[in-house]
Order: sequence, then C-alpha cells, then structure tokens
Amino acid sequence: MRQHTDEAPAGVGVAAAGFVAEDRSTIYFAPNLAWRSEKIGVELNERLGCNVVVENDANAAAWGEYRFGGHDNSGGELLALTIGTGIGGGLVHGGQLVRGGFGIAGEVGHLRVVQDGRPCGCGQKGCWEQYGSGSALTKGTRGLVASGAAGSAYLLEKAGGDPAAVTGPMIGEAAAEGDAFAQARIDEVGTWIGVGAATLAAVLDPRLIVLGGGVSEIGDPLLDVVRAAFEANLPAAGYRPVAEIRVATLGNRAGVLGAADLSRPRVDD
Amino acid sequence: MTDLTVGVDIGGSKIAAAVVDPAGRVLARADRTTPGRTTAPSVVEDTIVEAVTDVRAGHLVTAVGIGAAGFVDAGSTRVMFAPHLSWREEPLGERLEQRLGLPVTVDNDANAALWAEHRFGAASDADEVALITLGTGIGGALLIGGVVYRGHGGMAGEFGHTRVVPDGRPCECGRTGCWEQYCSGKALARFAREAGRDLVGPDLTAAANAGDIVAQGAFAEIGRWLGIGVANIVAGLDPAVIVVGGGVSAAGELLLNPARQALAGSLVGAEHRVIPPLRIAALGADAGMIGAADLARVGR
Repeated sequence: MRQHTDEAPAGVGVAAAGFVAEDRSTIYFAPNLAWRSEKIGVELNERLGCNVVVENDANAAAWGEYRFGGHDNSGGELLALTIGTGIGGGLVHGGQLVRGGFGIAGEVGHLRVVQDGRPCGCGQKGCWEQYGSGSALTKGTRGLVASGAAGSAYLLEKAGGDPAAVTGPMIGEAAAEGDAFAQARIDEVGTWIGVGAATLAAVLDPRLIVLGGGVSEIGDPLLDVVRAAFEANLPAAGYRPVAEIRVATLGNRAGVLGAADLSRPRVDD
Repeated sequence: MTDLTVGVDIGGSKIAAAVVDPAGRVLARADRTTPGRTTAPSVVEDTIVEAVTDVRAGHLVTAVGIGAAGFVDAGSTRVMFAPHLSWREEPLGERLEQRLGLPVTVDNDANAALWAEHRFGAASDADEVALITLGTGIGGALLIGGVVYRGHGGMAGEFGHTRVVPDGRPCECGRTGCWEQYCSGKALARFAREAGRDLVGPDLTAAANAGDIVAQGAFAEIGRWLGIGVANIVAGLDPAVIVVGGGVSAAGELLLNPARQALAGSLVGAEHRVIPPLRIAALGADAGMIGAADLARVGR
C-alpha cells in the first residue's frame, strides 16, 4: 500500500455520467448532458495542476462498492446497477473493472427492452432506463397523479396539491405507509428493474448484484419486487445459482469513493 | 510427440467429434445424429462415447473436450440445463471420464466456438470479443481480457434468452419474448413461411443467393433483429469485435448488411463511439469441436 500525505492529493478522480474513452480522459458522449467528444481530463488537469482520471460514474460507483461497500468479495465479482436519473452499470470481474474494447462497457441503461418504446435522451427508443429508473418512477407517477388516477389522492395531498411536486422519496414514503397506489408505481418500476437484471444475468451470470442510486433508498418495498421479477424472468431458473440482490451500502458516496480510489497511482500487490 | 485432443460438439441436431492438433487442425472426424429430447440422458451419453471411440482409433489422444448446447457449471463438469436436450444437472464430465478413461472438460458449445475463433479464426486480433451463434436457437459467448468469461455459475453468454419483446413469442425455456424467437434458424424459417416460402436452412440460403426476394426478405428480417440484439450486447459490454457463427451465418452479407444497419441505428451513442465490426466466423461448423479440443489441451 502506498501512503499519501494529506497536504496534496496525488490525483483527482472524476466520476461523470458519460461514455468515457479508454484514455480515462475523453468523454465520447453523455446521453443526459451536452458533452460530445470532450477532453474533460486534459482540461481539468491543466486547471487543477494535478493528475486527473475520469471514470464513468456507474463504473466508479461499482468500484466504490466493491472496494469499500463491505460486500463478500470472494471471487472478485460484482455487478452494480446505479438507478437514479438513468440506469448505470458497472461490472467487476476478477477484481478489476470490465471496460470493454473501447472503454465504454456497462451502459446497461440503454439496453433496449421495448421495440419502438419510449424515447430516450440518447436518441434511441425503448431503453431500459425509460422504464426502470428513478426518472421513470417520478415521471410516470406525476402523470398519473395529474390525470387524477384512482387512488392517487394521498400522494397528491403529500405533494401539497401539485402533481409536479411528487418526488421519489415521497412515493417510497407513501408506499411504506401502506398506500396501494404508491406501491403499485414501485411495483411497476421494480418489475422492470428485475426483468432487465434477468437479461443481464443471462449474459453475465453475476454472483452479486448491488443496487445503488436514489431509487434504491426505497429499500424493501422495492427490493422484494425486484427480486421476484428477477427470479421469474431468469433463464433456466431452478437449474442454476440465483444471484443475490442487495442494496448498495455506500449510497451516494460510492461514486466519489470509487473515483478517488481509481485515480490513485496503482502499485500492484 | 504431438499433443492431440478430441473435441466434441453436442448440438441440438448433431454430435460431431474430431481429433485436433495444437494448431487447430482437424485430423479425423466422426458425426452422429443427436438423440431427441424425449430420450434418456444416457442415450446421448452412449452416442458421445461411440463418436469419441470411433474418432480416436489410431491416434494418441491425451484429453477430451466437450462443447454442449446447455448451461454448464463453473467447474466445467456438469450440464445444469439443456433447453434442447433432456439433461438436467447432468454430471456429464464425470460419467464420460469413467467411460473413456481420459480427462474430460465440459464447456458450453458457444464458449468452445469462441475460443476457437479467438485462437485460430475470425477474432485472433482481439481480446474483447462477443460471439453470436445462430443455429436452431442463439448461442453466445464472451471473451474478456483474452479469457472466456463464464460468470459466477458458468452460465454467462446466454444471449438467446435476453428478452427483446415484453410478452412476446413463447420460448422453449419457458419464458416469452426471448431474442432467439426472433433471430435464429427457427425464426428465419418462420419468417419465410409466413411470407410464403416453405424452405428451411441451406435451401433458403440458396434461394436468397439466387435472387429470391422473399427469401432475402426473411434474411433481412432476422438480420435486423441480429443488429438490434447486438446493440444491447455492445451497450452492455463494448466488445472490439463481434463474430457471427452457426449454420445461419453461411448466408454471409445477406445477414450482416441488415444487421450492421440495425446496429448503427440502435446503438446508444453510435455517432460518438467505435462501432465494433461484425464478422462471419472463420471456422464454420467445426469451431465448437476445435475450441473444445483446444480448451481440453490448454485448460480454461
């Protein structure tokens, strides 16, 4: 282990919601931001005067959970899904982040789950994150509340009478208090999360799936649904080990901790 | 002394065994018809033993590698589930070792084919590779960092059962909307039949090559679904090369052209990233047994 003084950081790790190139500096594309082929790392390096490493936010979060999340890391495997505005993915395999051939593996939010489905910020249609993200939960719920859907009165009251003021935590709270309408919204999004995770399990066969991001803070009312949908949609269920699905332990700090750790000059062993 | 091994490819319709040298060359081969899914597991086992015994005669063989169409456990001995055969948690490796008197490794057939393409074929220049095999269904395999990626339970790469249509067509696996119901030899025959061409397999390929617009349309349709499904794999894993194998891949560009279009049209951030090339597998139907033989030699 390398010792650092606390006077000057050896490097700065930046976790960004975009497609980060293999050089750990250039962002090719950010579906939900204006960046297109931005040399973020080089620019920040000049302005900060120290080594800057840019990492995809979900990869950083996966690494943070893997290194500091207190999970059982035997086997060096972990799939982290960060479910907030979108769905980010990060895969640790053999104790290392899987980056792909060009640096941008893990963009699982843009798996197409519905043909000709809902439009996505990336320009495509039917992306998973349009169905199983925090935004999908709040957007869908606000729409239903605004249209005066049956059973939505309690949530409307909680939001002070303004459908646009409904938030994710508010929906989670209402569900925890036993509100059936709120729970149905969570069931819908949780089912999409479980269905998508089952598709990922068909491809990647992970041992442990860690759910992070804002939506995961809903906890058990969401997780129970995710697990049920995952098991119902897993190919060859009954003839294979079923991955454990847990909530991320580091919450919003996972990305920051992961990015910082990944910016550390690597001294192997 | 040359280190020879036997590779066996167990598919839904055919069992193929070959003696393979370290350069991936096939020195001898034997083919058998796969017993149907209603027959007992031991019948399939008998057929494998027959084929191996037949092919190894006259060669000094050190190990046997099996590539089987099914979910194989991480320890490479047990077939947990084979959608097109009657195997359920079948200890195939152990049984075959007893009967053949040689070390036996068992892997998924697509993993074996990918390994062959990486060592001797279309992906020898890349360490990050996805293989899609289009046969009766879809097989798939992943190479990450130059090593076959098997996942926790040994079941990674089952692309055929990723869901592409919610509540879509029923699949043999018991679920609905699986990719292989839209992009496979079976789907190809169905698209052709629905359009009025009652042809299957090589006959359909020949008709399309001879200019039959209806047959070409069926290839365009599964090609489009190929591109859509590959876009999901690229979004998730960003491989450097995609290799397309299996019987249906004999159609070549008839299949790949529409697939490339659909991939470019479906891939997230397509204009801001490298779109990996789609290539037809170089080793054809032999890839599975060559790869299985090589995996038995070099280890996993």
